[in-house]
Amino acid sequence: MSQRILTVDNISVAYDAVKALNDFSLEVNKGELVTLCGVNGAGKSTALKTIAGVLKPTSGTIDFEGQIISGKSPEAIHKMGISLVPEGREIFPSLTVAENLRLGAFGRFKQSDFNADLEDMFTLFPILKERYRQAGGLLSGGEQQMLAIARGLISRPDLLMLDEPSLGLSPNMVDSIFNLIQSLKARGITILLVEQNVERALQIADRAYLLSTGHLVFAGDPKELEREMVTSVYLGQQQKEGARS
Amino acid sequence: MNTLAVKDWLFRNSTILMLCVILLLFGAFFWWLNNPALEHLFIVTCITLIFVMGFQLFMGNSGILAWSYIGFVGIGAFVSAICSMTPQLKQMSVPIMYPWLQNIHMPLPLALLVGALFSALIAAIVVWPIMRLTGAVGVITHFALLIVINVLLVQWAQVTNGPRNFTVGMRPLVGFWTVLISALVIMVFVYFFKQSSLGLRLRASRDDRFSASTSGVNVVAVRYFAFIISCAIGAYGGGLMAHFIMDFTGHTFYMAEFFVILSMIVIGGPMSVSGVFFGLILVAAGRYGLRQFEPFMTGYGFNMTGTTEIILSILMILFLIWKPYGISGGKEFGLETIQGWLKPLKKGA
Amino acid sequence: MTLPVFLSFIVDTLGLGSQYALLALGLVVVYGIMGLVNFAYGEYIMVGCYVLYLIGLYANLPWPAAFALAIIAAALLGLLTEMIAFRPLRGRSLDALLVTSFAISVILQNVFLIGISPRYKSIPYPAFFDRRIDIFGVVTSLRSYIFIAVTLLLLIALTLLMKKTVLGMAMRAASENFVTARLMGVPANLVISSAFLISGLLAGVVAIFWTAKEGMVGPTSGVAPLLIAFIAVVIGGMHSLPGAVLGGYVYAFLTNALGLWLPPGLSPFREAFMFVLVILFLLLRPEGLIRGNYTEERVG
Repeated sequence: MSQRILTVDNISVAYDAVKALNDFSLEVNKGELVTLCGVNGAGKSTALKTIAGVLKPTSGTIDFEGQIISGKSPEAIHKMGISLVPEGREIFPSLTVAENLRLGAFGRFKQSDFNADLEDMFTLFPILKERYRQAGGLLSGGEQQMLAIARGLISRPDLLMLDEPSLGLSPNMVDSIFNLIQSLKARGITILLVEQNVERALQIADRAYLLSTGHLVFAGDPKELEREMVTSVYLGQQQKEGARS
Repeated sequence: MNTLAVKDWLFRNSTILMLCVILLLFGAFFWWLNNPALEHLFIVTCITLIFVMGFQLFMGNSGILAWSYIGFVGIGAFVSAICSMTPQLKQMSVPIMYPWLQNIHMPLPLALLVGALFSALIAAIVVWPIMRLTGAVGVITHFALLIVINVLLVQWAQVTNGPRNFTVGMRPLVGFWTVLISALVIMVFVYFFKQSSLGLRLRASRDDRFSASTSGVNVVAVRYFAFIISCAIGAYGGGLMAHFIMDFTGHTFYMAEFFVILSMIVIGGPMSVSGVFFGLILVAAGRYGLRQFEPFMTGYGFNMTGTTEIILSILMILFLIWKPYGISGGKEFGLETIQGWLKPLKKGA
Repeated sequence: MTLPVFLSFIVDTLGLGSQYALLALGLVVVYGIMGLVNFAYGEYIMVGCYVLYLIGLYANLPWPAAFALAIIAAALLGLLTEMIAFRPLRGRSLDALLVTSFAISVILQNVFLIGISPRYKSIPYPAFFDRRIDIFGVVTSLRSYIFIAVTLLLLIALTLLMKKTVLGMAMRAASENFVTARLMGVPANLVISSAFLISGLLAGVVAIFWTAKEGMVGPTSGVAPLLIAFIAVVIGGMHSLPGAVLGGYVYAFLTNALGLWLPPGLSPFREAFMFVLVILFLLLRPEGLIRGNYTEERVG
């Protein structure tokens, strides 16, 4: 089978005294699209932030390409090849699109590499070329999401983590974001996707995980999870959430 | 009377009983020593205890660093001194004072009370809008207010004698027992304030401002009243200080004094009354010890005035880095703490 | 007021404002990134002044060398305080950082009180600062023109740094959203150290200006510039570098105008007036004249 690149092994995370994640484990293989689902507050974002180094696990380890990364700083983890596109997009509003993208490639100072990648991003997101000199804060929600994804991609990560990329977007925009994710997968990019829009996420994922109040309750085939969702009680809740977003 | 209930009450409040006993024992010890220099030290430390307790009441429970507090202490000092001095004395000490101020005269206990209430009144008039602010903006506002008060105290010559010394009299007008009893009463008050309804609401607003206000706590009002009480206590202490040291200026109640109070609070742990108490004892003892050392160093050709401040500052930074909740860890010392210490011993036996 | 008098008032105000603008900028460059109001900032300036004093006393260096050393000393001090005291406190509460900066300020004041003297010492500085210049009847000292020119150059250099370099972009990004900047691979230490270095550099330049104006230094020399920086920053806006510059010039104008029009009996209270103004500003317009990215506080 394909090569394992990320192994999250039994991590627990707490905010002050409140536990947000309990003995959580997850694996991602090279080239896979893995989705992590769950309702609001289930701990999905906490999981991504912990992998990215923003939060530190109280126990357990995270292994990326054979190196223990739990406890390292976010900038060090980024340098090793993990890129997180944070929830709520979090682009830098007063910086221009160009500057936002330049920062995405902060770790690599070679201007020639950057220019080639930039052209690549423009073919993926033509709108960013039009808006190149505008301040990020002036873009629409969907454009900001594209900028955020482009900013995450431009460092050529080995693992791209997307946190709620469809949140707060119009139905049309949601469609194009999901199409985009599929085309990124087709390019061979390894993706860990967190979504509240569970149905859509399960349709495109290779494997799925389900979190409920900080505990892992399912891991495996997305089709199986989809079938279970129709029958199971707690998943009724999931569907409602999914329908809302 | 239900002895069980009494026992329970005593156990729950063992902290404050312990603090009172310790303070009284210290008092008895210094009284027995009968050494004027050490008695002076003890009285000044007791007044500082009042400052620290008043400051803890607001900062410890609200989590807000209110620099302006020491300014209100200064207001209390001047007002009570002006009230207690006879017109003749004021004529001599501050000849340019407004005549209507010179004519005010009242007994000392009343003057101390008026000083406290007047300072609280000024606080009540000024600080309402400031209580909305948090973070860096709040800090700068308090700091700015402190500077405004200080400029007024140091420059308003017709009231405070300006930058020159304000002399209350020849001999100290407050004695050992007045100060000791005052400190004791205020410590008990501050301890029970923490458990009072106002204190609880204030602590709720510190832990989570937004959930406190959604559960019906008017955060601004709660902070406002607590700060006024805090200023009244501090101003009462300021009055005692004025009538003990007898010579002071607006600068007596400024950064240097605030720094001492802050160091005691940081080292003790701001959230705990007992922590602050022990922080005060440690800092006061340490400062006294170091001051003894200073002339010794000077004898060897070093000019060491200021060493104490440097050591205290370094200690503060070390505490902030390694023990952010001070020696108390944010908890109160009490019988439970002692039981915790004894447990491993019992197991060993 | 005749035209030449008015013009010399303008030149004086711009000269003073240049000094205040740099002062405010040095405070805000750190505040924007860490949310820390650095009480030790005034002492960076004090140390710059003491370096000039010591050079004047023990080494007969040419002026440019002495000035460069003063600036380097202040910049290194900024860097050192960050590495020794603020770095271990990274991520802690605002108050912990603030109290630490206050403690550092007390340490530095007392080090110079013990090491040199509690008394104020006069600092030698080149006489050309005081030379009177007459341009079409507008008589001012050369000092004002030097301040204006130097400040202009520094502002241009700083703007280029912030707009054109990747480091500058990273600093602007970090002041908008520190965590996300780190997620993009921007090292927290690099950004914060750079901010302290710039803060110290500006303090060093201000130290030279301060010397040219006051001619003295003592252990409490840092207090006055710190207070000025506070006022300017609050007026201009604590979250914007252009705001800080504007605040500096506005404050200089207010100072000079109050000096002209305030009745002499009230002049000792000038500082109190300024701080009442500060409080009103904070209450009514906490974001200052220039809004910048004004949001909740955060600590790196």
